[in-house]
Amino acid sequence: MTDDKTQEVQIKIEGLSKAFPAQGDAGAMVVFDEIWCSVLKGEFVCLIGHSGCGKTTLLNILAGLDQATSGAVIVGGEEVTGPSLHRAVVFQSHALMPWMTTMGNIAFAVKSRWPQWSKAEVQAQCQKFIDLVRLEGAEGKKPSQLSGGMKQRVGIARALSIEPRILLLDEPFSALDALTRGSLQDELLSICNNTHQTVFMITHDIDEAILLSDKIILMTNGPQARICEIVENSLPRARTRGDMHRHRNYYPLRNHLIEFLVNRSEGFDAELADPGYDPRRPPVVRPVAEEDRDGTADKPVAVSAAAGRR
Amino acid sequence: MRASIRLRALVVSVLLFGLFAGAWHLSTLSGADTSANMDPEYAALIGATAKGASAMPGPLTVAAEIWKHVSNPFYDKGPNDKGVGIQLGYSILRVLSGFLLAMIVAVPLGFLIGMSEIMSKALDPFIQIMKPISPLAWMPLALYTLKDSTVSSVFVIFICSIWPMLVNTTFGVASVRREWIDVARTLEVGRLRTALAVILPAAAPTILTGMRISIGIAWLVIVAAEMLVGGTGIGYFVWNEWNNLSITNVIAAIFFIGLIGMVLDLVLAYLGKLVTYAE
Amino acid sequence: MGAFANPFNADKLLWSGCPCGQHRSMLEHQMAMAGAKAGRFTCEAVEDRDLAPNPEPRFVDRPRAPACGDASCVDPDCSGEPPRRAPGAAEREQARLDAWLDDEPEGGDTEETIARCVESAVVKGMFGTDMNRRAFLRAVGATTAAAAIAEIFPLGAAKALAQEMKGKLEKTKLNVGFVPITCATPIIMAKPMGFYKKYGLDVSVIKTAGWAVSRDKSLSGEYDAAHMLTPMPLAITAGAGSVAKPWTMPAVENINGQAIVLAKKHKDKNDPRMWKGFKFAVPFQYSMHNFLLRYYVAEHGLDPDKDIQIRVLPPPEMVANLRADNVDGYLSPDPFNQRAVYDGVGFIHILTKDIWDKHPCCAFAASQAFIDANPNTFLALWRSILDATNFASIKSNRKEISKAIAPKNYLNQPVTVIEQVLTGRFADGLGKVRNVPDRIDFDPFPWHSMAVWILTQMKRWGYLKGDVNYKKLAEEVYLATDAQKLMAEMKLDGPYGKPPKTTYAKYSIMGRTFDPANPDAYVDGFKIKRT
Repeated sequence: MTDDKTQEVQIKIEGLSKAFPAQGDAGAMVVFDEIWCSVLKGEFVCLIGHSGCGKTTLLNILAGLDQATSGAVIVGGEEVTGPSLHRAVVFQSHALMPWMTTMGNIAFAVKSRWPQWSKAEVQAQCQKFIDLVRLEGAEGKKPSQLSGGMKQRVGIARALSIEPRILLLDEPFSALDALTRGSLQDELLSICNNTHQTVFMITHDIDEAILLSDKIILMTNGPQARICEIVENSLPRARTRGDMHRHRNYYPLRNHLIEFLVNRSEGFDAELADPGYDPRRPPVVRPVAEEDRDGTADKPVAVSAAAGRR
Repeated sequence: MRASIRLRALVVSVLLFGLFAGAWHLSTLSGADTSANMDPEYAALIGATAKGASAMPGPLTVAAEIWKHVSNPFYDKGPNDKGVGIQLGYSILRVLSGFLLAMIVAVPLGFLIGMSEIMSKALDPFIQIMKPISPLAWMPLALYTLKDSTVSSVFVIFICSIWPMLVNTTFGVASVRREWIDVARTLEVGRLRTALAVILPAAAPTILTGMRISIGIAWLVIVAAEMLVGGTGIGYFVWNEWNNLSITNVIAAIFFIGLIGMVLDLVLAYLGKLVTYAE
Repeated sequence: MGAFANPFNADKLLWSGCPCGQHRSMLEHQMAMAGAKAGRFTCEAVEDRDLAPNPEPRFVDRPRAPACGDASCVDPDCSGEPPRRAPGAAEREQARLDAWLDDEPEGGDTEETIARCVESAVVKGMFGTDMNRRAFLRAVGATTAAAAIAEIFPLGAAKALAQEMKGKLEKTKLNVGFVPITCATPIIMAKPMGFYKKYGLDVSVIKTAGWAVSRDKSLSGEYDAAHMLTPMPLAITAGAGSVAKPWTMPAVENINGQAIVLAKKHKDKNDPRMWKGFKFAVPFQYSMHNFLLRYYVAEHGLDPDKDIQIRVLPPPEMVANLRADNVDGYLSPDPFNQRAVYDGVGFIHILTKDIWDKHPCCAFAASQAFIDANPNTFLALWRSILDATNFASIKSNRKEISKAIAPKNYLNQPVTVIEQVLTGRFADGLGKVRNVPDRIDFDPFPWHSMAVWILTQMKRWGYLKGDVNYKKLAEEVYLATDAQKLMAEMKLDGPYGKPPKTTYAKYSIMGRTFDPANPDAYVDGFKIKRT
């Protein structure tokens, strides 16, 4: 989907920064600043960075739950000033209302979106998405009766049931065990393949990012975190967890990301200080295998590992 | 197995009660009867306790008295003598009136304070000053201004049982999980619907705990208030029997008071269970 | 003459409003006599009481003010000299006025009087002036006149209605509060023994938790009348200890009837001089109990505020506290004195009868507002109380009364305890049976001198500060004068049934004489006092 370069920009982040005012002895703390990037319609973007670089804060600002200190987020041509039904959020802890059943939680969202619908219509919509996340049979159960994975599925179903334009996910699978994580990732992938949903997801998990995303945004460490780099996923769109590692671009991509997370973190300050770095246009890279490194790549410099990046 | 644990607990309870009753009985056995050395007419004019009987009645006497009350609970012999059922009924009615009034005021006010920091800080000093005032101190003021004794008792119950509900509602509302509110925000839910559909059910267990505490206090207060003011009611019943220095009846009354207090608490505990959710 | 005279007598002045009969009111008459400046006529004093037939009002034109300046000048040709009056005219005028004002029917019963009143009122309304009335009567004769009037106005029905209104009770359902002590015997017994009913009242006697509540519920109007302590109506009227509201005490509930009780352990300390450091209890600050206790210990040389402690406790708690050793003794209303003996915790040191025989104790009290709003009801209530008190004063009735007031809804005490108090044959707590028939007695008369004594004690102990107008307060609150009339009318048959001729009496209390005419000297005469 992202091969079509004429796609419209759905989310534009311009010069976003977040700072907390001075409190007591501590001076003012800038979490991040000069964040510029964009998300195309139907794109699946992942944000990766170390803890403390303000990923969740950034997501909250995108969702409209938090206010930026300066800069703007423009969605669909309009500036974001508050939360909206068109930007659905899946929270890190499922945030289900424990006194409502599965059906009740999803219905709460559906009723908020379409308050004039009849009971039957609401029920039908809820059922559709319960089936989508493969939770048939759990409609009448309260969250305390569901496992972690099931609860997160309800969260996803709730977010999708309002048919939002944008889906924002804040490390949705980090609290789950590896096996559940895997199966939920597969489900999310297949849902997004079908619905062509615009998704912005925060994650720690490199493999998850490689599996799901079209584009990975790498952030430096906080305070004063910035976008270090935008990495394009060089794997083909049709990929599965089971076979993607066989693709020749897998390891370049993966190595690049590990390199970023593990080794390059000490040198972020130098990188950002480099006169070639412009926060408005952070470098875009597309790690590919040696044999593909030629001018056919539409982005400058397919680079692997540490070559020429000092 | 649960049944076995409950059965064993019951047995222990019964044993404890038996021990207590036995000790009570032994301690109230009569001493030597001194009436033999008295002038017979004199002996006829004084009561049993002056002749050596224990001033404190034994458990059997009390049990008999309780049975007497229970077997004819609704008799009415005029404004100063009514059956224990009627007296309890009046008291319960007053308690419920004061309690309901307190609830109508406490819950919305608690919401307001819980959701608004300004209101919270502004009202806090008043709440802190009025909270610890004893009902017995309010009573004379109420009688003086409101004049009518029933209205005064209901007012005193109101002013004493409002605080636990208010504090608990405030706390419950203020500590609703941030993320549930965020969910409501992302779904563009209006303030009122958020308050009713999210905050209220979320805070309900805390609010009901407050109510449970409040009804206990209200029941305590009504007995004290009625002792001060008289009329019809279990507090008045206690005072009337106290006037007659009939300790037996006073103990019987204590038993009834405890019984009804327990019932009220059970009712609210049940209601509390209905709104509890597991997280 | 006047309103009670026969309105169908053409020869007598009825009401006229003025002696000459031509004006509706004295004011008009006087204005005319004064010769209003713009007035065109004046009045000539009528010379004779019995009028000549067909008197014609004589109008004299007076276009100008009398030259002499005297408004009463009747000389049409006044030349400016002092007015010439018929000799003795002024005196006759005055005599006529006086006679007219003083005239009342000789004897005659109320019904006749009321009938006459009604007739007069109707006739007055019809004719406007006496002159017209007399003219009419002379023209048609009294009989025809009466018949004619009766045609237009239902005189008979009006008279009947007026008779009915005379004694009509404003309300019959009343709430009377009482504190469950034997002092309230008349108030309580009047219910089961039918005294209230006898006078057409449906009274609920309501047990009250204490004196403060009795006062509060009386002030708020929840009680129409209540059992109080004899000092309380005075205190309420004077504003001591509560809002100042005019209160009255129409009757004393009981005389005597209290005792000083000591804990059993003090049986060898039967002399008040040994009581230094003791703690005593009384039921209320403004009570005879408090005053008698203080008087008693003061006469024995102890200062009640310095040498002993006096605290206020509700009577049942006194017994409990005695048992628990929290108080050493108390002066309380019965049956709690006898109860201490009955329960084996105390003994009777002295009956208050032996401190001051026939001292007042409790009161039947009502607010002035209640009396003003419901005069007939109040009278009926007062009658029932006086009747009941009278019945209780007869010793042979005492046993029956004990049985009636002992049950749960009244005093809630064992019958024998009440009996011992009311009959005076009682166990004294030290092994002896004593016989004192007037241990408690019931004399309803609210002596003004009692009020003065109470006020002197209130002044003595500092409860009333400043100058006290003893006589005024006593007579305002204690309705002794009205009691005299009412009791005489009722012709009660008990030992106190005949009301005394005076409302002030001297008392001898523990050897010291009290003269109500010199209350200040009495207060000053005490060695131990707070003023």
